[in-house]
Amino acid sequence: MKDLVHIFELEDLLQEANNELIRKAKSDGKRILGYTCYFMPEVLLDLPGCVSVRLRAPRSTSPEMATYYMSGRTCMYGRCLLERALEGGYNFLDAQLATETCTVTCRFQEHLQMMDIIQNPDFFCEFTDVPFKKNDNSIDHYEKQLQVHVLNKLKEHFGIDISDEALLTAIKQHNEICRLITEIGSYRKLDEPTITGTEFSIIMLSTLVCPKYLIIEKLKDIAEQLKTRQPDVKKTYRCKVVLAGSEEDDPNFVKLIEECGALVVADRHCYGSLPGREEIVVKEGESPLRAIARHYLETSMCPRFMEQHIMRERKQFLADVAKEYKADGIIVSQMKFCEYWSYERTIDTLILPRDFGIPVCSIEKEYVNNAVGQLRTRFQAFVESIELKAIQKTKKET
Amino acid sequence: MKLKDIKAKYRELFVVEKSPEEKNKPRDIKKTVKDFWYGKPHEERRLGDLYVGDTGLYKHREWRGVKDTFYYFNMVWLYNYAHMVSDIVKYGEGPQGIVDFAKGIMRYRWMGQTYLSVMHWFDRGMEGMRGEALRASAWHYRGMTSETIRQFQRMFISDKKIHNGKEPKNWKKNIAHNETVGGSIFYPWRDVLDDVPLEMIPYFVSVHVNNHTVLNYIDAAQSIGLPSDPCPMCQAEYGLFVNDDYPDYAPTMVTSNEACDGSVATSVMQDWFLNRPLYAMPQPMRYDDPLVQEHCQKEIEGCWKFIEEQYGIPFDFEQYVKYARSFNKLTEFEWEKWDVAANTPYYPINGVAQALYRIYYSQDGDRPIWHEIDDHVKKIMNKTVKNKINCFPKTRHRAIAWSCAPLYYSNWCTWAYNCWGINCVINMDSLMFDQYLRTDTYEHALEDLAWMNEKAPMRAMAVGGHKHILSLFDYMERFNCDMVIMYDQLQCKGMQGIHGIFEDEFRKRDIHAIWVPHALPDKRTVSRKEIRKIISDYMTTVMHEEPLDPTLVDFDDDKSW
Repeated sequence: MKDLVHIFELEDLLQEANNELIRKAKSDGKRILGYTCYFMPEVLLDLPGCVSVRLRAPRSTSPEMATYYMSGRTCMYGRCLLERALEGGYNFLDAQLATETCTVTCRFQEHLQMMDIIQNPDFFCEFTDVPFKKNDNSIDHYEKQLQVHVLNKLKEHFGIDISDEALLTAIKQHNEICRLITEIGSYRKLDEPTITGTEFSIIMLSTLVCPKYLIIEKLKDIAEQLKTRQPDVKKTYRCKVVLAGSEEDDPNFVKLIEECGALVVADRHCYGSLPGREEIVVKEGESPLRAIARHYLETSMCPRFMEQHIMRERKQFLADVAKEYKADGIIVSQMKFCEYWSYERTIDTLILPRDFGIPVCSIEKEYVNNAVGQLRTRFQAFVESIELKAIQKTKKET
Repeated sequence: MKLKDIKAKYRELFVVEKSPEEKNKPRDIKKTVKDFWYGKPHEERRLGDLYVGDTGLYKHREWRGVKDTFYYFNMVWLYNYAHMVSDIVKYGEGPQGIVDFAKGIMRYRWMGQTYLSVMHWFDRGMEGMRGEALRASAWHYRGMTSETIRQFQRMFISDKKIHNGKEPKNWKKNIAHNETVGGSIFYPWRDVLDDVPLEMIPYFVSVHVNNHTVLNYIDAAQSIGLPSDPCPMCQAEYGLFVNDDYPDYAPTMVTSNEACDGSVATSVMQDWFLNRPLYAMPQPMRYDDPLVQEHCQKEIEGCWKFIEEQYGIPFDFEQYVKYARSFNKLTEFEWEKWDVAANTPYYPINGVAQALYRIYYSQDGDRPIWHEIDDHVKKIMNKTVKNKINCFPKTRHRAIAWSCAPLYYSNWCTWAYNCWGINCVINMDSLMFDQYLRTDTYEHALEDLAWMNEKAPMRAMAVGGHKHILSLFDYMERFNCDMVIMYDQLQCKGMQGIHGIFEDEFRKRDIHAIWVPHALPDKRTVSRKEIRKIISDYMTTVMHEEPLDPTLVDFDDDKSW
């Protein structure tokens, strides 16, 4: 396929947290607000005068200093973030809006509070409590938390306008991004997708780590190009897969899967778009903040949710995504030492083939992807097993 | 087998060899009589010589002097063995309980492998104890044993699995819940329903009594693809389900997020395996944020509504008040105990009894046995304070143990006192549930109950902001401690994630802290012997101290229960 417009530029922007566009936004007088988790609504951090940055630690190697503080037995994502912070890589942050949603990222953010790491006199780190359920009680609670620990703090520290009008403006901009990403992502549903998983991953990630007002035109250009983009004459993949799992912010990992012959057509993981890029709907009579709180709780598919029906719906959701995107299998990937996904991955690996007949490749990986050879072997074997199943199925039918 | 071999085996199993120094000492009749009557002085006991090889079993029982030996034999051994039989009948609702008990032993590995080793668990915890310390600590053990029997008998008499799949009459009168859901939640139904934690006996208690049992469950969890790094406590709970080794004694399940990611994830797994109505009652992580209280209270009310709907029995506030008030008496006594432990050398409870009893009764909630035990202990403690009896006279260091303890070696504190004079006066888990329950109005009652559950094990200290875990230093001061035993649970992400900060703080504050690595129930990661070696190495190389009992410095008890 012909190269996507802006794709190399966006890929470059992913090479460092304090990228060119963040620096531009900073020079435009914006406040740069960091976060790590979907449960910190990025839309609130994109209020007029602010720019949200979901933290990544690209090009990390061995997080030595962070390993002293957090030991070698914690999720490497959390450690790499702390390492980058200790190296001064996040000094551009004006604030970190934190959540205690998974243990290690929580500890990382607590280190930002405890140690004078971020060399920015304005910097503060504030925690929000996030509920474990999706009921009304949880939405009430979450809304209250967001008001006090996010909005009020932004107003107090930076004089940000947190009125309903400002929130509606932020929602509007956010929804525009969501519409574009959803449109771009929809080409993955085609029988022969006209966008690769790697390309989509780059585009999706760039919306999380770049100021939205500076990339929106680029997204529009991409969406426009995709309308007429034709797939390769000869198929370059052998099967289609959904990538599900924990934190994943490395397009090279998606590239690795695709090099093994599995086209990644859907992304159901932290930093993915399913969920993540659904439009926020403000219902009649509902305040914008209430709509945001409800939206983020309702759309999240995090294994942190404990309600019985929600736990079961998660499996159904994954099966539905596989069906909608015409995937032949699911790769469930778990960041090593992530407890939520250790269990979720194990259960997915048992339930999805048994109850939904979907093949699953279950892997554990590090944030810094060193075990490329082993993973390649696993993916190649998975692709072959899917092909074999397809052959057997065809034989049975004939 | 030749006679020579039989003699050698006999010596290996039953004869305690004297040290060369002792052999060469002239016989001192007066001292021999004195040692017989009062027991040997601490430094001469040579407790390590009593063990048979790597089994941890004794060649013969420790001679504690006439009075304490007979007390131990009568009031600990005989008394508890007798109760271990009579309680089976009492809590089994009659002689049929014996049959159910026998079936339970045959059906469940955790039961079959632990019941007869209970008295060895007493022995390990009480080793070297004398006088009031022996008595008070043993009463605590007695309380835990009795309540354990009550719980497993309740499970067995209601268990479908050992009744050919039929529903025993009590099945519909039980509420199953995570071991991490506080029993206080169920006070409104205590007179009509019985709340029994699902994993408390099968996993938590059993690992203390016989540390081999749990390994099977951890392996089972990993056999279906769970990685080995999540919290092994959650893994063991998971394994009970994978192996179908849990009793089916209740129609519903109440779970919690106590207080880590692994616990939440375990609830997900329990749902899939149990496949019955389940109420998740999560508590907020940022629990001392005033804004979270209302949310937390509503979750508790949601749980109450769930019970009402599932069992058709209305919420009874009067019952709640009755049990909450009764539990407050236990809390008041606990505060008294802390006061004595913090400010005097007259505290008669050893580290392991303090830790296990406190976590057990406060998690379980109000039960008659706890009051009975507290009455006994209160008499003993009043005596030690009044008569100024130093219960741990060889104390060289007053230690506080922080973070979660190695379940397979909870009696390390008994060893540490006997060997090095390290007296573990308090531990982190003892400080949880520190909440008085007001009962004057429904609102106050609910508010305090929510607070109590927010201060549950691990949650109270390990989550909700770094200030909670760093409160160690305040408690250290409050309990007049000069040493920290810093449990290093290798698979606890929350504690691993703040490791370096503690290192920095210990250095900054010039505190002697001994890091004790372990993997909660899994003795294979760090053995008991390795734990002892780490402590001994610190005591010799950093503290430059000599052991009180050199025979305890290096011995192998790997095969011990």
